[in-house]
Amino acid sequence: MTEIWDGLTRAVQLIISFDPEVLEIAGRSLRISGTACLLASLICLPLGSLIHFRHFRGKRVLINIIQTLFSVPAVVIGLLLLVVFSRAGPLGELGILFTPAAMVVGQMILIIPLLLGLTISALSGVSKETADTAISLGASEFQTIWLVLREAKYAVLAAVIMGFGRAISEVGCALMVGGNIKGATRIITTAIALEAGKGELELAIALGAILLFLALIINIVLNRLQER
Amino acid sequence: MKPLIEAASISHGYGGRKVLQGLDLSIDKGEAFALIGPTGAGKTTLLRIIDLLEVPDAGEVYFDGRRIPRSGKERLDIRRRMSFIHQKTRVFDLSVYDNVACGLRWRGWERNKIAEKVDHILEMVGLTGYAKRNARTLSGGEAQRVALARALVLEPEVLLLDEPTANLDPVSTAKIEQLVSCLAREHNTTLIMATHDMSQGQQLADRIGVLLDGRLIQAGNAANIFRSPQGKEVARFVGMENILEGVVMTGNEGTVMVNVSGNAIQAVSDYSVGKEVYACVRPEDITVSLSNTRSSARNSLQAEVTRVTTLGPLSRVEMNCGFRLVALVTRMSAEELDLQVGKEVYATFKATGVHVMERGISQ
Amino acid sequence: MIIIAATVTAVAAIVSAVSVTSPHTILRVATTTSLDDAGLWDYLEGIFEKRYAVDLQIIVKGTGMALQLGMNGDVDAVVVHDPSQEIAFVAGGYAVEAEGFDSARVPWAYNYFVIVGPEADPAGICRGNLTPEEAFRRIQQWGEASPGAIKFVSRGDNSGTHGKEKAIWASAGYNYSSDIQWIGATAGWYVEAGSGMGATLVMADQMMAYTLTDKGTFLAYRGNLDSVTLLDTGDILLNVYTAIICRKGSNPEMAQNLVTFLRAPDVQALVAGLGVPDYGERLFYPYDPKICG
Repeated sequence: MTEIWDGLTRAVQLIISFDPEVLEIAGRSLRISGTACLLASLICLPLGSLIHFRHFRGKRVLINIIQTLFSVPAVVIGLLLLVVFSRAGPLGELGILFTPAAMVVGQMILIIPLLLGLTISALSGVSKETADTAISLGASEFQTIWLVLREAKYAVLAAVIMGFGRAISEVGCALMVGGNIKGATRIITTAIALEAGKGELELAIALGAILLFLALIINIVLNRLQER
Repeated sequence: MKPLIEAASISHGYGGRKVLQGLDLSIDKGEAFALIGPTGAGKTTLLRIIDLLEVPDAGEVYFDGRRIPRSGKERLDIRRRMSFIHQKTRVFDLSVYDNVACGLRWRGWERNKIAEKVDHILEMVGLTGYAKRNARTLSGGEAQRVALARALVLEPEVLLLDEPTANLDPVSTAKIEQLVSCLAREHNTTLIMATHDMSQGQQLADRIGVLLDGRLIQAGNAANIFRSPQGKEVARFVGMENILEGVVMTGNEGTVMVNVSGNAIQAVSDYSVGKEVYACVRPEDITVSLSNTRSSARNSLQAEVTRVTTLGPLSRVEMNCGFRLVALVTRMSAEELDLQVGKEVYATFKATGVHVMERGISQ
Repeated sequence: MIIIAATVTAVAAIVSAVSVTSPHTILRVATTTSLDDAGLWDYLEGIFEKRYAVDLQIIVKGTGMALQLGMNGDVDAVVVHDPSQEIAFVAGGYAVEAEGFDSARVPWAYNYFVIVGPEADPAGICRGNLTPEEAFRRIQQWGEASPGAIKFVSRGDNSGTHGKEKAIWASAGYNYSSDIQWIGATAGWYVEAGSGMGATLVMADQMMAYTLTDKGTFLAYRGNLDSVTLLDTGDILLNVYTAIICRKGSNPEMAQNLVTFLRAPDVQALVAGLGVPDYGERLFYPYDPKICG
């Protein structure tokens, strides 16, 4: 049990001393998961809105599939992408295996179902009359979607935060397609797995605490933003 | 002049339930048209189809002589020439200013022009100084004025209103009614409103259409609708509470005698002898007295009071004179006459107050 | 305002995350966990990068996975330690013969595997001058008898160390997959960790079990462990590290540089000195043609 306390002490030390390696790893985690979350949001908010507003056959089935994919394991996505991005694989030409780009793609795929599903349910919370009123006032489909997304901003932001949380906390996919390369693709979670494997439990716990600390800061910032 | 809006054989339903059934309607430019009818008659659906929110299952809508396609950008372009104030008003979770400005922004107006227009309209509806407030914090009447400003700032060619004052207090209702009629007149706006409040229809509209069970039964000016309803259902809906079944006995130069359960009732009509008819009398056109005041142009029937109910300043008197008759009298006169159940009275109404219509027409 | 800020951040983030330095300045090497856990790459990476102006990226996998990445061309070179898998790799045509060396497999360092375990040594393998095969037989027999007290933790990950362990079981007269992997695991004394060398050492230490480890990793981890070296002699324990250039790699010139680098006299001297200041013992021995073959 002393490891936990020592780990937390170590975390505080690492944070206040601006340990360059920890900063680098934490920064990379933020960049990769932030990019994945932003790109996924740019895809999912409009797409989720279209799914919500348009009527088409198989809509229920599609939403069921999306919700089922919430629980797809990160390591399965990692495995698929390892095969796909390998030079011997179909997208080998891109040469992005073991780069942050591959990790971004992996985390995007991981959180897209979650963001889509939560966007759809966020919009379901906005009354149909709101969309009808906007259309009557001459809003185009895109303008209506934008207005309704803004009406649902709290739920939409919660969806984005959850997506970011799932991205920054996953390890399986990052390890598979990133390779945990020091100075290139090592992020907080893969570093934790590595340090724990080495028996460096204190450092692993410290990194875990830093991850939570980062998540806290991001939540605070985003909540501030939405209060405006 | 060709009509601005024309609906031809419109049928529409939701999940197997038919709401509109082969409806035809045409509305001229600058006209104020009120759709009246009971809840569920299809008023809202018709307004949604005219605003191009819905594509009818069958039939066509024409705007300014052009047939409206069932999909595509042209629908947006035409919709932008209209405004629709829905029954369930939703102000957006934005400031009052942004609520009113959004329609102009969506049309790509310049920032300065928008500010000018919005400030002007907020002044018109009496919401100057509310611009920065979040619209969700307003009272019901204020929110409805925001909704009105939001629609009117677009200077629409057609303004659609669905029960615009349904949930408002009388003062707010009066304010909204005044704004609508004033602004519509100023810009020669075509006004189409749905209401179940007949007096509102009467007050704001040039022409009234009665919608029953998805069909437009009758359309005409207020006097036409209220005095000469076509069919029993319309008569009942416009407040003709006394609908008496009878047969024309004698006819002479536009005056007839109708036999209603053995009583001869004099009425103004051209129907020939032997015709099966309804004789309709509005309750407020019947006076109740203790003595017989029969004259040449009047009907006076001996009756027994069966029930008296108080409706605010009025009393509703139900009587039996061989058939059931209902009268509306002021409460004061009811008290003066000491109207009680079992009291013997005379019910009197003018021959011109009786609307005679053929039985078996309409449905 | 928020929208603009978010868009700018998004674009910046995408650019910084996606833009990778041109592939010709990167050398990607898949290496065994034992080399990384022993701290070799921490030591050599900076020197190599400076000497050749390249970004050396180390992907740490077991020998099996490392060679798989090499076959696909996902890495430019592999540095591994499992002769039988290496020979199959070369025979499959996945390797390029290194210039200046007469083989596709270039040995550049060696050390010995050691059998480590709890100081109490419940199977008594450090007494009586046992060979590694005899020690393994004793662990198997005593383990079958009392699986609660005597355990052996295997890497179980197709790594070079795992390969060596299998070779010892075979040499001791067992059919590995049936006698050990199946019967031993059922009895409970044989445990497959499925992890890297460091993690396996930690696990064995926690379970007070025996395990086979390369000496370098053990020395590097010894500070965190209670396990001790119980047996470290016997020809079969020889552990030779080999560098191989991958045919499908994207940077063969730089891969050649790595091989040359590892065998360069100054680097050989560095390798020989590694660990001495920290552990008082060598982690690796430099290339010796008589021993490495």
